Parts: sequence; structure tokens; C-alpha cells
Amino acid sequence: MTGLTLTDLLGSPVYDANGTAGGRVREVAISPQDDLSRVSAVIVKTSSGDRLLPYASISAFNGGVKTSKPFAEWQLLEGSEGMLLLERDLLDQQVIDVHGRKVVRVNDVDLYRDTLNQLPILKIASVDVGARGAVRRLLKGAVPSAALRSLLRRIPPRAIPWEFVDLIESDPARRVKLKISNDRLAELHPADIADIIEDLAPDDREAVFETLDHDVAADALEEVDPKFQKSIVESLDSDRVADIMEEMNPDAAADLLGDLSDEHSEAILREMQPEDRQGMRDLLEFDEDTAAGRMTTYYLSVEFGGTVADAIATLRGFEGGPAAVSTIFLTDSHGTLVGAVPLSNLVLAPSTQPLLSLVTEPMISCHQETPENEVAELFDKYNLLTLPVVNDQKMLVGVVTADDVVGFLRRKI
Amino acid sequence: MRWLRRWKIQIIVLFSVLGPGFITANVDNDPGGILTYSQAGAQFGYSLLWTMIPITVALIVVQEMVARMGAVTGKGLSDLIREEYGLRMTVLVMLGLVITNFGNIVTEFAGIAQSMELFGISKYLSVPVCAVIVWLLVIKGAQKNVEKIFLAGSFFYLTYIAAGVLSHPDWTHSLIATVKPPTLESFREKGAVFTVIGLVGTTIAPWMQFYLQASIVEKGVTKRQYAASRLDVIVGCIFTDVVAWFIIVACAAALYAHGFRNIASAKDAAEALRPLAGQFAFILFAVGLFNAALFSATILPLSTVYTVCEGLGFESGLDNKFSEAPFFYWFYTLLIALGAGVILIPGLPLLKITLGSQVVNGMVLPFVLVFMLLLINKKELMGEYVNTRFFNAIAWATAGVCILLGVVYAVGLATGNS
Repeated sequence: MTGLTLTDLLGSPVYDANGTAGGRVREVAISPQDDLSRVSAVIVKTSSGDRLLPYASISAFNGGVKTSKPFAEWQLLEGSEGMLLLERDLLDQQVIDVHGRKVVRVNDVDLYRDTLNQLPILKIASVDVGARGAVRRLLKGAVPSAALRSLLRRIPPRAIPWEFVDLIESDPARRVKLKISNDRLAELHPADIADIIEDLAPDDREAVFETLDHDVAADALEEVDPKFQKSIVESLDSDRVADIMEEMNPDAAADLLGDLSDEHSEAILREMQPEDRQGMRDLLEFDEDTAAGRMTTYYLSVEFGGTVADAIATLRGFEGGPAAVSTIFLTDSHGTLVGAVPLSNLVLAPSTQPLLSLVTEPMISCHQETPENEVAELFDKYNLLTLPVVNDQKMLVGVVTADDVVGFLRRKI
Repeated sequence: MRWLRRWKIQIIVLFSVLGPGFITANVDNDPGGILTYSQAGAQFGYSLLWTMIPITVALIVVQEMVARMGAVTGKGLSDLIREEYGLRMTVLVMLGLVITNFGNIVTEFAGIAQSMELFGISKYLSVPVCAVIVWLLVIKGAQKNVEKIFLAGSFFYLTYIAAGVLSHPDWTHSLIATVKPPTLESFREKGAVFTVIGLVGTTIAPWMQFYLQASIVEKGVTKRQYAASRLDVIVGCIFTDVVAWFIIVACAAALYAHGFRNIASAKDAAEALRPLAGQFAFILFAVGLFNAALFSATILPLSTVYTVCEGLGFESGLDNKFSEAPFFYWFYTLLIALGAGVILIPGLPLLKITLGSQVVNGMVLPFVLVFMLLLINKKELMGEYVNTRFFNAIAWATAGVCILLGVVYAVGLATGNS
């Protein structure tokens, strides 16, 4: 095999320029500030302490590591901060497989030789998370290497390319030193990010969460199971929580706030922007099991006398998600609900068409205190995607979307 | 029927408060436990009661340690061993655990067989049927609800407390025996070392440590909420050992005192309940034994499979489909099939196997303890929650005593007197 694995390297003898054995390989190191996929040095355990051998001084790999430096010039190891050590930090640890969208444990690391500026270098190809790596780790040294190699060839490999691996590090200082940023994780669908976050231990969970931007964190937090939501939020500062909650859908944020202790939710509300804070307080008034408890306050409303062009203009400024955008509600100057225009009706109509001619009949709405199961019945009976919620004065106060109902129904199954 | 419903509601409220510690403690009183305690009382009377206090203290310390590790790190014990000591060590520990857990699984099915035989149902009928029931219960995920029913059934153990009282034991003698330290003579008595290892092994079984830590992690207990869990663990340990004490006393009074020094079968153990239930002793005992066996049979194989899958990195979890976690489901099915299968071998001395499996527990325990101690004293893992000197002393002492007893027993076996 042209590749080399970490298991092959670890423990193998190291010979200096004169051919005398100086020690054994204890660690393989990477300097993330320079290049996160290239081996920068090898740490050798010798009888007089650990020595650091820069990769450039390594001349060959067969039957042991050969270096061009005489033993006397082998540098003593000062400290290993700022270096990613493969045996300590990667082997047997959990990492995030961004491509497979899950958390996996590293059994072995596959390396390969390459050249850079005509100099030989060693790079990480992938991490082995399957049986091949496990068997190699277990049997190396216990079984003759030729037999082991032929056995391993028969096991199909399960490896994740290094570019799809996101490291997990719970110490913030080390995260900075090792430049662990979870950029690739942030590009996944929020529901997948949430799944991954749920699979981690609490410290790692919080660590990963802290590296995400507010809007990514908000979307992911919405999808995380409520019991983890609470523990994540309790570990963050109130102002960061407020920033994230401002990016979340109001109904999801209100649900989460409602689950926290009164003083904690007060502390968070105080950090929020005034306009968001009032909306949050209003939503918190309502019982979770009613239409008002499930509704979002991000909805599209246009004056009922307007045209298609007015509706499209409102659409451009809309902050809500794809579910709420599917219906445009028509209200009068007091905010009373007059009608509902599905987006599908809008799309093909000429821009001068009055909106009132596009409303669906009859107009279905529900009172804010309607219990959840009646809301679900309405959705089923009228095949709704959205349901406007009104107060006693028939004013539009919010919208329940189909995904809320699906969540509610699943809890019942 | 209204009083029945109110009673049921009260029980449900009670259980919503009880946690992993209490459940683990109840599963601890499985057939292996019941029969080991019964044998200890029948064969030695009150003279082994002194073990109860040290064992309880050791149990509390050990269980508290795993609960603390689970709450602080948020990871299971096999995960921690893997991350800190690597794959090879994990494989060795898993092998050891599977062997001792398998012994326990066989014991649960032995309990099912023995309890049903008390009703005259052949083991060839009861064991396969129950194996299928257990398999279905867990796979179909009804286990959580059934857990509550089993826990209710576990209050059957209170009957042992009642039996213990009604058997008019020599209170003075038994209480003195509980606090008086043993003499070296008592260890030389035939079977004493074996039984003491069995008592330790059945009370502080290795599988319990992995199961409790995993339950704590699954429940999402964090460092902040840890104090409540600690109470739950301590209460559970005390409850289980109080019941154990009464089982020993009841059997000592009912059997030892009347010259029945050896329990040959579960039928003899049922005799201990005669003071309380008279004719119904058999029924009470059989139903309780069956309940304990079935409960443990749903928990033990599942816990073993979870532990191994997590340690070795296999996909696990009942929310996965069969195709997503093949090893998990296959291994689980294999454990149940083999466990039940062993019992079906004709002429098997079920009681001897039961007692022997608890002794195996006691022999494997020190190795698990050593790992736990190494992990819980790591500052980078536990932060300020590392062990106090007191806890370290007790835990190391427990490990040391177990190893010593094991060596003594092995030497005894080799030289022909055990």
C-alpha cells in the first residue's frame, strides 16, 4: 500500500543519521496555523525525554523512521500547545463527519506521501471509522504483518476524507490555537446540525454551538430537541442568547423562553431589542397548547385595497420563513383580517390586479385561544398550509403554519 | 374501583420522581441477588450479616462515582475508557463485560425457569416464550412503559421485609452480627469466601456501573442538577441493601434455624416466605422472582449491547431501523437467544449457575473499579469534581479486598478446599 497509517507510524523505531536507533515515535503533529492537513513534525520518545523532529528532517519510512539529523541535534520538546497531536487529539476521539452528517469515532488515520516544492511531505488523507482501522489497531504487533495486511485488504474501508472532518474541542483557548472553526458544519441544513449537536456530550455540544454565527445557531437551535435546547441556552451568556433568539422564529423563541426559569428569561428579554422584546412578551402570555402559543408573528399582511404589485413589494421585505410566506393576508387599517391570498394565486396574476379578487373563499381563521387539536382539525379539514389567528376584535395577531401542526401531531403518535 | 385509580395515580407520580439510581438498585435485586442472599442466610445463618454494611458503603461510593462521572463528562463509561485508554484496552474491557453480563443474562432466564417451575410450567415452555416476549418488548420500544409496571412489581421485595419480621428472628443476634467484625475463623468455613465474593458481586455488579452512567447521560443530568441524582442513587442503594439484609435474615430464621442449611432449588428459598404467607409463600415468591427475572431480562442484554456499541463505535439505539444499526440488533438478539438457549440444556444445575455468575461478577468488579478510579481522578476530565481522598480510599479498598478474596478463592480451589 502506498499509503501510510497512523498506527503504522506510532511506536516504530526512529534512526538517526548514523543508523543508530534513538527512540520510538510517540506522536505525529500538525501545525494548524500553517496547514491543517500536512504533518509538520514527529515526536520521538527517547531515553532522555521527548524530542521534536520537524518533518523536513525525515528521510525515509521503511522499517522505521530514518532521519537525516544526528541524534545530538534532535531538538528537545518544549511544549505542544498550538500543535494538533494525532494520537492524543484525533485517535479514538469523536469528530463530526460533515458529509455523512453525523458524529463518528476515529479508529485510525490514513496518511499519504506527496511533494511540495519538490520536497517530500506527508498529508492526512482521511480518518478511518470502520472495521479496517479497528482491526489494524487491535492486531498490529500481535499478528505477523504480512498476514495482517492480507486480512485488512479484505475488509472494505469506511473512511471520511479529511476535508469533511470537523474537529471537536471543548476548551475555547485550544480552539483558537488550533483554528477549529466548524465552517463546514455551518453549511449543513439546520436540522442536520441539530442532529449532530444532539449526539455530542454537553461540553462538546456547547463548544460547537459557540462557533456558529447567530443566524445559523438560531436555525439549528430551533430544530434541536427541547431538552437539549434548554441545557445549551443555560450555558451561554444572556446577551448571546438574546442575539440568537432575535434570529429565531418568534414562536420557537417564545416556547424556549417559556421553558426557562423566570429570572433567566427576564435576563434574556432585557438584552433583546425593544421591538422583539415586546413581541416575545406578548407571545409568552399565551398558553402553549393554543393557537396563539403555536403561532408566529412573522406574517405577510397588505392593505385589502392593494394590488398584486403592493403584495410583491411587501414580500421583498419579509423576514419570515418559507412556511409563512405561502399566504398573504389582507387587513384593514385597524388590522382586522379581511381575506387570505395564497402565493400561488399571486404568482400568475398581472401586477395591477386587485388583491381582493384573488382571495380564497371561505376565509378560514381561528381565535387565539383555540386549543391545539382543534387547530390540527382545521388544517386537516380544509387542507391548509397556514391558518390566520385573530383576537376578540377579529384583528390578525399571528399565523400558525403547517410545520407547527406536524410537530404537534408527531408528539401524539 | 375509584380507590384503585387513585392508588395507580399515586404510584405513577412517585415513579416520575424516581430516577436512574433507584431503577438500577431495583434491577440489582434480580434472581441472582435474591438467590445469593437466600443462600447466604440459609447456609450461614446470621454470620455473614457483617458484610452488609461494608458492601452498602462500597456500593454507595461506587454508584455515586459513576453518577458523578456521567453528570460531569456527559459521556458513558465505555466512551471514556475508549477516549482515554484507546481501542485495545476498550476491547479487553468489553470482552470481560460481555462474559460476565452473559452469565447474568443466563441467570435471569434461570430465574424465569425456576419461578415458572414453581407453578409446574416446564422450562421448555416458559423460557422460549419469555425470551420472545422480552425481545418484542424492547424492540417495539414499549420498554419504558413496561418499566413502570415492573418497578411496581418490585415492591414485592417489601414482603421479604415483612417475612423477615414475621419469622421472629433473633433480633439481638442478627443486629449484633451485622455490626460485629468477622473473625478469621469464619472465612475458613467451607464456602464462606465463595459466598462473600458472591454477595459483593451481586450487589455491586459491573454491569450496573455502565448502566447507571449511561442512564444518567441519557437523562441529561448536568453538573448543576447533579445533587438530586446523588440523592436518588443513595436512596436506591440503601433500599436495595435493606431488602437484601431482610432476605438474609428471613432465610436464616426460616431455613438455617431449622437445619435446612442448603438451598437446592428456588423452592427452598420460597420456604423463607412461609411465616408471612403460609401456603401462599410459593406463589408470592414465584411471582416476585418472575417479575425480577423478566425486568432484569429486559434491561441487562440491552445495556450490554449499548455499552459494547458505544465503546467500539457501532451505530446503536432503538430509534434506528434494523438496516441502520445491524450490529446492535443482531448482537441483542444473539444475547437473548444464547442466554435463553443455555437454560434449555437438560439437567443444568440452575441454582449453581445462578450463584456462580454472581461470583464471576465479584471477580471482574475490581478491574472495572480500577478504570473508574483512574478516570475519576483525572483533573482534565472531571475538573473540580475529582474524587476526595475519602472516596478514593473506599474505592481502592473495595477493589483491593475483591482482588484479595478472588486470590484466596482461587488458591482454595487449586488446593482443593473452597
